[in-house]
Amino acid sequence: MGLIPDFILDYVSDNTFWTILFIVHALLAVALLGALTHQAVAVLMPVRQPVGAGVPGFVTRFRAVHGPGYAVAVCVLWIVTFFFGAWIYTKYRMYVRIPIEQAGYWKTQGVFELKEHMAVIGLGLLPIYWYFWKNARNPEYDSARKGVTVTLAAFCWFMFLVGHILNNVRGFGS
Amino acid sequence: MSTATNTSSGAATSGSLASSVAFRSFATVFAIVTPVIYTACEMRNWPLFTYHPGTNKVDLFWAAAVKDEGPAMYWYGWTATTLIVAGVLGLLATKLPESTMRKIPLSLTWIASLAAIPVLIYALRFFWRW
Repeated sequence: MGLIPDFILDYVSDNTFWTILFIVHALLAVALLGALTHQAVAVLMPVRQPVGAGVPGFVTRFRAVHGPGYAVAVCVLWIVTFFFGAWIYTKYRMYVRIPIEQAGYWKTQGVFELKEHMAVIGLGLLPIYWYFWKNARNPEYDSARKGVTVTLAAFCWFMFLVGHILNNVRGFGS
Repeated sequence: MSTATNTSSGAATSGSLASSVAFRSFATVFAIVTPVIYTACEMRNWPLFTYHPGTNKVDLFWAAAVKDEGPAMYWYGWTATTLIVAGVLGLLATKLPESTMRKIPLSLTWIASLAAIPVLIYALRFFWRW
């Protein structure tokens, strides 16, 4: 057995498998980005409850999410997206990075390396992120929770955009 | 800072792990040392193992790419080194008295992560060609 379990190749081709894996990775990243963005905006611009306020607008509703409810989902999504990304990375190293280097897209390759670094550092933040959000009623953690959440959201945005750029440079159909 | 109603209401604090002082110590140290160890691994090239995707082989610690067999990958090895060392340090932190752990500013958890980024950008200077 190589990088793909043999029984899977009984049903789909090698290319189809990697395509499905990449799409799942990308969809998980979208979900993670959405969850973290909602949560980050919620801690940066918490919604107050003004007396007599009318119907809240889009922005207010966007930041009025229940932050603690996202914590477990964000941890699971980060880990699963990380795992799929790490799996795809083997293929990337052989069939994407080498042509990118041959084409001289050094900065593109550099930002992808930084994306990989951020993914690991973000992984290290997950236990304390989870702990802070599970203790969301404790004001002692308010500042640190805000910092960790915004940091993870910033990392996620960077990684998402870099992944998108890499796919534009040498993605499907290349 | 106030998290207002949307971030504070309904938080589950009843779970044993969520109320555990030991877990807090572990998670705090794990978050702070992960970027430090990872940056050191990247800059000093300390992978726990090297993966050769062309041949699907794994070597313990650092190994050079084999001629005509494709590149060598170290990122998996750096990640493994980082998670294991940070995990051990986190576990050791659970043995420290709570008073000692409380002296560590919690803001370091995210500041250490952000501080590692410019260092890693510098470490990647090979790629910043114009």
